[in-house]
Formats: sequence, structure tokens, C-alpha cells
Amino acid sequence: MQASIQRKASADPTADVVFETRELSRHYGSGDTLVKALDQVSLTIAPREFTAIVGPSGSGKSTLLQLMGGLEAPTAGEVYLRGQAISAMSGRDLSDFRRDHIGFIFQAYNLIPVLTAAENCEYIMLLQGVPKAERQARVDSMLNRVGLSGKADRRPAQLSGGQQQRVAVARAMVSQPDIILADEPTANLDSQTGSDLLDMMHELNRREGMTFVFSTHDPMIMERASRLIQLRDGRIESDEVRA
Amino acid sequence: MQLTWQLAARNLTRNRRRTLLTGLIISLSTAALILTDAFILGFSDTAVRSATRMFPGDAQIHQVDYLAERDEELVIEAPQARLAQLDNEPEVVGYSPRVMAFGMISSAADNRATQVIGIDPAQERTVSRLADAMAAGDYLTSDGAETQLLMGRRLAELLAVELGDRIVISVHNQEWGGAEQALFRVSGLYDFNARVLDEETVFVLQAPLQTLLGVGDTVHEIALALRTPALASDPDLPLWQRLSDEQVKAQGWTTLMPQLAAMLDMTSASMALIGTMLFILAALGVTNGIFMSIYERTWEIGVLLAIGTRRLAVFRMILAETLLLALGAIAVGLALGGLATLTLGAVGIDYGSMELGGVAMAEQIRPRANWTQYSVYPPIVLALTLLAAMYPAAHAARIVPTRALHKSL
Repeated sequence: MQASIQRKASADPTADVVFETRELSRHYGSGDTLVKALDQVSLTIAPREFTAIVGPSGSGKSTLLQLMGGLEAPTAGEVYLRGQAISAMSGRDLSDFRRDHIGFIFQAYNLIPVLTAAENCEYIMLLQGVPKAERQARVDSMLNRVGLSGKADRRPAQLSGGQQQRVAVARAMVSQPDIILADEPTANLDSQTGSDLLDMMHELNRREGMTFVFSTHDPMIMERASRLIQLRDGRIESDEVRA
Repeated sequence: MQLTWQLAARNLTRNRRRTLLTGLIISLSTAALILTDAFILGFSDTAVRSATRMFPGDAQIHQVDYLAERDEELVIEAPQARLAQLDNEPEVVGYSPRVMAFGMISSAADNRATQVIGIDPAQERTVSRLADAMAAGDYLTSDGAETQLLMGRRLAELLAVELGDRIVISVHNQEWGGAEQALFRVSGLYDFNARVLDEETVFVLQAPLQTLLGVGDTVHEIALALRTPALASDPDLPLWQRLSDEQVKAQGWTTLMPQLAAMLDMTSASMALIGTMLFILAALGVTNGIFMSIYERTWEIGVLLAIGTRRLAVFRMILAETLLLALGAIAVGLALGGLATLTLGAVGIDYGSMELGGVAMAEQIRPRANWTQYSVYPPIVLALTLLAAMYPAAHAARIVPTRALHKSL
């Protein structure tokens, strides 16, 4: 997969940028019905960031995450992962890119209902070709870190919403991605559960250096974010780095 | 990938009712295919046995031009030498020399044109079921009166005669070229359940008919019973050459009864047609069932694609589910088909007096199993089921993750 990623000729190969978007746009429709979901957005994400992308509905938060995650193709502009452009990738290479470099956390958990918590985590490593012993060790470790070591054999329906979202976090992290993209991860949780989950992710960010980018309306995420990017009408309105 | 198979197997347990119904489509199609094939095999066996073993025989020997001209002058000369040869042919298990004449038979009440056949009663038993078809009176005996005559019960009704009544047979004498008549008495009535034999044929002893016809000790036909009727359907059987020469020709039932052979060929074609129709219907059912299962978990397939599952892997996952379902369903279908074949084979299907393709079904049709049904059909069913799953599998592989997941990424 690496060979298929086109290296950006002008990129700065410093290690302090994980993600970069340049003049990134996503338009839907044309003429009078043209909707600019995202319009010329340029930003960089550094390692260990705990970034929240905020804004009203329709501001382009989810679209930005979709483009960063290679789930949608931009109308214009480019996304770079560690200096490598992803727009030239084939469908298969994009799948491998998501598998190896991106961790996704969805609003509705989106675990595979017929797989246990451990199997949900193991699945992506199977795609990566990780040996069985290592898979098992990583799953055990990851479930332990998210506080679900005793619930590895439970299926999603046997877990609470908060527990399911913890499994989703474990699934996103277990493949050792470069960045985790989380779309409204607390939206379906009560405030206490949401707060606990955020504390856990914040801890993983601080202790293990995992980079998180959230799309959210949740004040609890904004409070914890090390960087707050405000979107409005598909453009960056403000970009605030916090101490 | 063990987890892929586990995932496929568990996906089948999600909606058990739908899985059961889709599986039933495959099972019942397999069972129906097996039973249809078994029925057609049984039908063919019965039709051939009814057509050949009832009276004509698996094969016949005639003077080379007899069948084309039906001239009573065209006889098999010196039949005793040929009959002696038949004793040494390993494929031949029975034979019956016959004298054939077309004539008029008259009772006190009526008269009818019929075929008069002169037979050797003992030899006829080795080829036809005339003796078994006797419904009243006695079968012919060689040492009995030369006036013995057997006719169908139906013909007796038409001529208003009963056992012991007198019948006059008129035939064309080949020696002097005029009509020759002789008196016979109805000694037995038979019931073949076949119109031509029951209404248009009478049987007498060979010697008086030879005399009446003026053909000496010659015969017109030698009917043969072979080890199996299937032997007679081989046009390259060496037996035909050994029994044929410049004067006579030996032929199997497929040549003698081309209409029956054509009907059986058509039956095989019908089998292919029925099989095709069954599987078009089954394939539509399978395709629908799999499509429903995909629609039900579109979001989940979207998740799999979003987290990095290749589209080909999703395609394979759907085919893996179908494969597991089909293997189970085909196993059930084989059991159902086998059970139905065994049951109907034991009980039999009675077609009564129905004539199919000019052949009266003299016995029950018994569906027959053969190895093809269990070795060739299952892989075909499996392959066609997987083929039917390819369209929905391709649809699943083309799901767009962002649309599948709607608002959440």
C-alpha cells in the first residue's frame, strides 16, 4: 500500500504534522443547487493533538472528517497523511489506507452485532494480517485499557451504550492508526457516560500520544480539546490552540 | 480467515426465519430436481418395459423388406436354424417365432379386420406377457385343439362373443392367392390394457395359421427378450450384425418403435427444461433472500468498508454466507429427495390405463435413484446458487460507506 501513496513533492517532511488538508473542497450539485459543504479548508493536525471541530449543523464538520478519512473524494484540494497524498489512491488502496492509518469512532457505535467485543477489535487486525498471538495480546491489552477486560466475550447487544462506545474506541485504537477520527462519539450517551468516555480517550491521548480529531457539538469535548476549530458554511471561522 | 467464516455463519443466524425460507427454496429445488429425475427414470423404465415386454419384445428379426411392405409373402425362411443360433447368444434370454397375418374375423353378430398372430405358446411366454394377461379361459396349449383362439376382452365385447363361441378367420392364402377360411373357438380372453392388442389382435397356434396362410413352416417375425431393454437401445450392438444377413434383419426397439424413442428423448429434454425452470425460480428466491439480508445490514457493511475492509472481501463474505447456507440446504434437499424417491419407489405411481406416446403403462411407475442425482446435481445446485448470489454480493461490495452510515461518518 505504501508504494501506491503518492509522495507530495513539496511537503515538509517534518514529523510534527500527521494530517494536512490543502484547499480542501467538497461541493454537491451544480448551478443554482450547488452546495459547498466544504470550501477551501486548509489545516494541519500535529501528533498528540486532541482536536475538536465544532460548528452548527451543515457547517461541514462531518464532511471534513469523511474527506480526511478517505471515505469521500474531494471536489478540489488534497489530503496528505504524513506528507503522502491520498487522492490518487485506487479504491483498494483507499481501503488499505483506512485500515492501516485511520481509526474511526462513530456516533452510533456501529459495532458488528454478531461479533463479540474481542472479535470486533480483532477483525481489523485480521484484515491487516496481524499474527494470531499478537492479535490476542493486543485485544486483551486494549480492552483492559478501556476498562472492558471482563466483557471480551459479550456481544454488543449485551453491553451498555457506554460500553459499546468503549469497544468502538478499542477497535479504533487496536490497529495502531496514525489518527482517530471521531464523529459525535458522545451524542448517544448520557452525560456521565459521555464524560467517562471522554476522560478515557483524553487519558489515552495524554498517556499514549494517540491523535484524536472530533466532530462535535458536545461542550464536554470542547472543554477537553487542546485545539478548537470552528467551521461555518464550509469554511474555518476560527482555529484556537489551547494550553 | 476463520473469523470471516464465523462472521458468515453468524450472519445466517440473525434472521432465522429468512435463512430458513431461503434455505428451503434451495432444499426443495434440490429435492424436486432429484425426484423429477428419479420419476423420469422410472417412467422411462416403465414405458420401455410396457412397450417391449408387454408383447413386441426388446428386439425383432424380420425378412429385410417385411416392415416396410408388411407383405405376408416376405417370410423368414428356415427359422429353425435361426432359433438354434439364438440359443447360443448370451444377450438373448428368450425368443418367440410368430406368424403374422391380416385378416377378417367374424362372429355370429359382427366381423372386424384384425391382425392374426400365430405363436408357439411356450416360446411366447419367454418374450411377452400374453400368458399373464389372461383374464378368462385358458392360455394356448401346443398339444390342445388347433382351433384355440385368444382375443382381447374388449374385442369379444365388440364381436358379442364369449368363451367357447365360434369365430371364422379369413386370410389371404399365399400359395394360391385366394381367401382361406377356418373355424376357431374362443378359448381365452386377455386384457393387456392396450387398445391395439385388446381390440385389433387375436392369437392362435402357429401351425394352423401357417396352413391357412400357405407359408409352410416359415414365420414372419422372431421376437427377442434381451438381458436388459437398455441393450436394445444400442444401435451398435454386435448382436444385430450376428443375427442379420442378406435375408433377415435384427433391430432393437429404438429402431422398431422410433416414436417411443423420440418420446423418451423428449422426456430427457423435458427434464433439462424442468431443471432450468426450477433453478430460475430458485435463483430468484435466493437472490431475493440475500438482497433482503444485505438491505437489513447496509449500515453494517458500510462500517466494514469504512474501517478498511476491501470491497472484494465484502463480496467474498456474502458468497461465504451463501455457500454455508447452500451446503446445509443441499444436504437437506438430498435427504428429502432421497426419502421421496424411496417412498414413491416403494409405493409406485399408478397411471391406470393411460397411454402415453402410444404406450399403455402396464405397470406402476416407480421413481428410481441413480448416482447422477447425488453426485452431479448437488454441485450444479451449489454453483447455480453461488451464481445467484453474485448479483447481491456485487451490490453489497458497491455500497458507499458514507451513504450507508448516513449522518454518522
